[in-house]
Amino acid sequence: MPLAYTLPSNLSPATVANTSSLLRIVALALISGAAIASRLFAVVNFESIIHEFDPWFNYRATRVLAEKGFYAFWNWFDHTAWYPLGRVVGGTIYPGLMATSGVIYNVLHALNLPVDIRNICVLLAPGFSALTAWSTYMFTKEMKDESAGLLAAAFIGIAPGYISRSVAGSYDNEAIAIFLLMFTFYCWIKALKTGSVLFGTLTALFYFYMVAAWGGYAFITNMIPLHALTLILMGRFSSRLYTAYSSWYAIGTLASMQVPFVGFQPVRTSEHMAALGVFGLLQIVAFAELVRAHVSSRHFQSILFGSVIGIGVLGVFAFAGLTYKGWIAPWTGRFYSLWDTGYAKKYIPIIASVSEHQPTAWPSFFMDLQFLIFLFPAGVILCFRELRDEHVFVIIYAVVASYFAGVMVRLMLTLTPVVCVAAAVAFSSLLDTYIDPVEPDVLAPSTQATEAEVPAGDSPANAPSGSATTSKKAKKAAAADASSSGLASGVLAAMSPSGKSAKPRGIFGLDTRIVVIANALGMLLFFVLHCTYVTSSAYSSPSVVLASQNPDGSQHIIDDFREAYYWLRQNTPQDAVVMSWWDYGYQIAGMADRPTLVDNNTWNNTHIATVGKAMSSPEEVAYPILRKHDVDYVLIIFGGLIGYSGDDINKFLWMVRIAQGVWPEEIQEPNYFTAKGEYRVDDQAAPAMKNSLMYKMSYYRFAELYGGNSAVDRVRGQQVPKTGPTLDYLDEAFTSENWIVRIYQVKKEDLLGRDLKTANSFDQGKKRKKSKPLARRKAVV
Amino acid sequence: MRFLRKLLLPVLALASLALARSSTGDSVLILLDPSLKKENFSVFFGDLENKGYQLTFRSPKDATPEIIKDDVAQFAHVVVFAPNTKTFAADVTPQALVSLLSKNTNLLLALSPKQTPLTSLASEFSLILPPPGTPLISHFPKRDTPATVIPVDAPAAYDIISPNLPPVWFSGVPQALGNNPMLVPLLKAPTHAFASDGDSDSGADALVEAAEKSGEGLWAGSSLSLVTGFQALTNARATWVGGVEMFSDEFFNKEISKGVKSGNRQFASDVAAWTFQENHVLRIDTVEHHRVNETLPSETYTINDRVTYTAYISKYDSELDVWEPYSGIKDLQLEFTMLDPHIRTSLPPVAGEPGKYSVTFRVPDRHGVFKFVIDYKRKGWTYLTSSTVVPVVPPRHDEYPRFLSAAWPYYAGAFSTSAAFVLFVALWLAGDDREPKKSKGAKSE
Repeated sequence: MPLAYTLPSNLSPATVANTSSLLRIVALALISGAAIASRLFAVVNFESIIHEFDPWFNYRATRVLAEKGFYAFWNWFDHTAWYPLGRVVGGTIYPGLMATSGVIYNVLHALNLPVDIRNICVLLAPGFSALTAWSTYMFTKEMKDESAGLLAAAFIGIAPGYISRSVAGSYDNEAIAIFLLMFTFYCWIKALKTGSVLFGTLTALFYFYMVAAWGGYAFITNMIPLHALTLILMGRFSSRLYTAYSSWYAIGTLASMQVPFVGFQPVRTSEHMAALGVFGLLQIVAFAELVRAHVSSRHFQSILFGSVIGIGVLGVFAFAGLTYKGWIAPWTGRFYSLWDTGYAKKYIPIIASVSEHQPTAWPSFFMDLQFLIFLFPAGVILCFRELRDEHVFVIIYAVVASYFAGVMVRLMLTLTPVVCVAAAVAFSSLLDTYIDPVEPDVLAPSTQATEAEVPAGDSPANAPSGSATTSKKAKKAAAADASSSGLASGVLAAMSPSGKSAKPRGIFGLDTRIVVIANALGMLLFFVLHCTYVTSSAYSSPSVVLASQNPDGSQHIIDDFREAYYWLRQNTPQDAVVMSWWDYGYQIAGMADRPTLVDNNTWNNTHIATVGKAMSSPEEVAYPILRKHDVDYVLIIFGGLIGYSGDDINKFLWMVRIAQGVWPEEIQEPNYFTAKGEYRVDDQAAPAMKNSLMYKMSYYRFAELYGGNSAVDRVRGQQVPKTGPTLDYLDEAFTSENWIVRIYQVKKEDLLGRDLKTANSFDQGKKRKKSKPLARRKAVV
Repeated sequence: MRFLRKLLLPVLALASLALARSSTGDSVLILLDPSLKKENFSVFFGDLENKGYQLTFRSPKDATPEIIKDDVAQFAHVVVFAPNTKTFAADVTPQALVSLLSKNTNLLLALSPKQTPLTSLASEFSLILPPPGTPLISHFPKRDTPATVIPVDAPAAYDIISPNLPPVWFSGVPQALGNNPMLVPLLKAPTHAFASDGDSDSGADALVEAAEKSGEGLWAGSSLSLVTGFQALTNARATWVGGVEMFSDEFFNKEISKGVKSGNRQFASDVAAWTFQENHVLRIDTVEHHRVNETLPSETYTINDRVTYTAYISKYDSELDVWEPYSGIKDLQLEFTMLDPHIRTSLPPVAGEPGKYSVTFRVPDRHGVFKFVIDYKRKGWTYLTSSTVVPVVPPRHDEYPRFLSAAWPYYAGAFSTSAAFVLFVALWLAGDDREPKKSKGAKSE
């Protein structure tokens, strides 16, 4: 048998095995290091700070947990949020993230390592990304082999699609959820393969952890039943499936109901019904198998036919009846919005207003996954070649996650792991094929097809050492099953379909190998460069602190948010209520420590609509709303001066829409557009727009800044009127350095009982119109 | 700051060894128009001084003493007897006078039929004055005085004016009242009086016409006010008097009928007493709240707790210059509010404990941030407002009932299943092991 290059032959199999396992450990350690290190750009470029919006709440909750203990956290009623409704925090969050940090915090303190809770929170996501890499390795190992596992671990470690949610400081549920997702899937595959109750229970335990950590647990809740159902339909029912699924479902469901936020949902809502249905179906199928073992096949056919129809009809009726009776909650709006992307905009604007709920743009697939997205289909096809039970899982996962990633930007996160797994399978098959030194034997064409099937070592690193075992195994395999279609040979067959069967197929010579492998390594190299670049430039911004560049190229930090929040913290009474759009609720609570009307936990649409109404109404309409809610300060974000496009004027239409949903008579979206249907803020702006509180607060005294020159809003690119709006019911209290954050104080009622507009014009010395005594009922003549 | 002032002012008053009569201080600035002689008002000013007030006189055009210096009001009360002054010194603007009210300084202002800055200021207090040069006139009862000098009955309005006063002489401009609840009309015009530009009844036709147009623009009849009190949100008081002559010695001594002196002197004293916050002054000393059977206030309450709320209210006694507990309010109400009042209940005085008002109620079955609100606003009296924020929280995880009788079927189900499982395992382990061997053998064959 000719070899493309010679391999050392004096190594014992034990040495080879030991060396390769050592190399694997080293490789995994390096991958973990890379995964953690590439997530630290945010800390290096900026500082150790909690990012964005939701993490600020998680951080605040974790602090309560660390300071006051678990039970205080469990019963925490946050009376500063959703003023004056308050928020029962324990019952409205997934506590897994905080509990994890709390455990780490307590363990470290028990070891006399006084680590600040903030640093634990900041570094939790990078730490768990290393675990994610490891669990992806385990998962992929079940799919193909260790070398594919290592590749998958490396991919997931630095893929921007996952980094975007797990940089240091991005202290969100997803930080630990992806690890839990992958590990639950790994346990499920393992349980399915071995039919072990132990792994089934492990699946359930990690499923419980996942339920406690992230609302996305519903993905597992539906993936595993879908997999099981597919296997049954494929006629692959086995006692292993029965054991794995039953132990997962029974224990997992009972455990998940212990999370207060989930409660009875697993038995009451439509989203969870698939799992219950498949559980029931499995029992029926298992029973049918039992019957089949005891009854002749013809009888069995008729029994099966009757019972399948009967049970199906019964099940559908029962489901419909229960839904009708209200025992099972119908699908929620969030669910519908997964199928109809226009649904949310029409019926639940509050969901549609979140940018991460928008459909994904095509370029972001490349941005987040680079060359993995091209290898992904190849990997899925390779799964079809072998199609063991676990390959079915990857295929289903790939199809479902691809769809969801297309619907919502946010769900790119669930797609990333399967892309990494599939791409790793494809990539490692490629490497296996081309690193394998065995050349097709021209003289013996009958065996060559199987030559390449040989498991050719674990990775490029230890491939050369495998020769001794390789050739032996190859012969054995060839002898045992000459026509077996292994993974690699399948690829080859697919790659060279034109080749005649008589002609020897395979790779000849060293040059071919070197070209392909160098090309592949080049792809890997570019992938690393791309990931590093994207991570450092796009995903490491804390969004609390903004960065821009000075003319000389140096970095200029725009720190308006913290400036404003600290102003609130230092200059306002502890119980001063701050009204802002809900995006900033968590940050105000976390950094300014002041009560807020609405925040990012958007549970009460009416309350948000109230804020929207106040923002989009004229002052005199808004004022009673502000007073009723005891609002002392109104905080808005205005980017017109420096061109920060994520400001409140750009979000304003969502406020209008959400308010319109509740008060359709008072707020109408078309009124905020010009007659031509344009959204303008300049002279031609619609009257409703010009009179709205949001417009007035945004452009109050803005024109003065330009000292008589035409004032230009740099976000909208429009000239704003020279005589800006006036405010009668609010006082400007604070405007940050770059005018990004503006804070207004709500005036108290006039001490003479006038409306504040009149009072204000009196203070400015304007003459009041003479009035006459009020008319009374007409005198009877 | 205001609290400090409240503490400081009585102390300062004592230090000056004066008989302080007002609850807010005894320094009075009188802006007196030079055309009005001080001697003509000697009785009124003398009465004030006898009560213990320190009067400072200043012409409206003088620059000193300033009424507000460094944003601090320099006097506890300001009397503006300048009905004819068209231009005031720079520091006496209508805006400055209004800001005095926000600094808890009381105002007594006199109007006249002439158009002055005060005329336009009056409209800020929801007073609607007739056009310039139209004083109140009345031809009844028949008397030897001009038609603009009118005897007016002075009923005891809101207990502020002493009862059974003889009629008082009035000459000046009437005010129609806007619908502002802060207004306290102290003296109403007689039914037969009206505002007209001169003694001749030339405007009578216009009046009749206006009366037919449902009374719009009609300055006539008993709905007009002649002396109007106004209590601002800060509890500072401002009183508008239609004519400064009411306070003159001449009107004080003028006889209403043979041998009966007018009630002007007592009336003026009563008006000044109310305006300078000598009477009808209340305050909430403290409020307390706690669970029933506890004494200390709780930081949060759980839904359905029974809570006791107590308020201590004092009234200012000008005779002794002390605050005394006061149980005389019969219609005090307490609200327990989150956006809307969830509970509105009367807050009755506790018998036997003067000044204490208390009520016990059940907290609603709704969590959120609630407020105990007292909002007591009665004409003539100080406003009593108090708002205490307390969060109402759901029960803790260990405060729910542990075992529910309704759940017994489920408990039974769980225990029976567990028992059956144990039994099954025991039977399985202890059972006969021949059969599996047999089947194994069968398979291997």
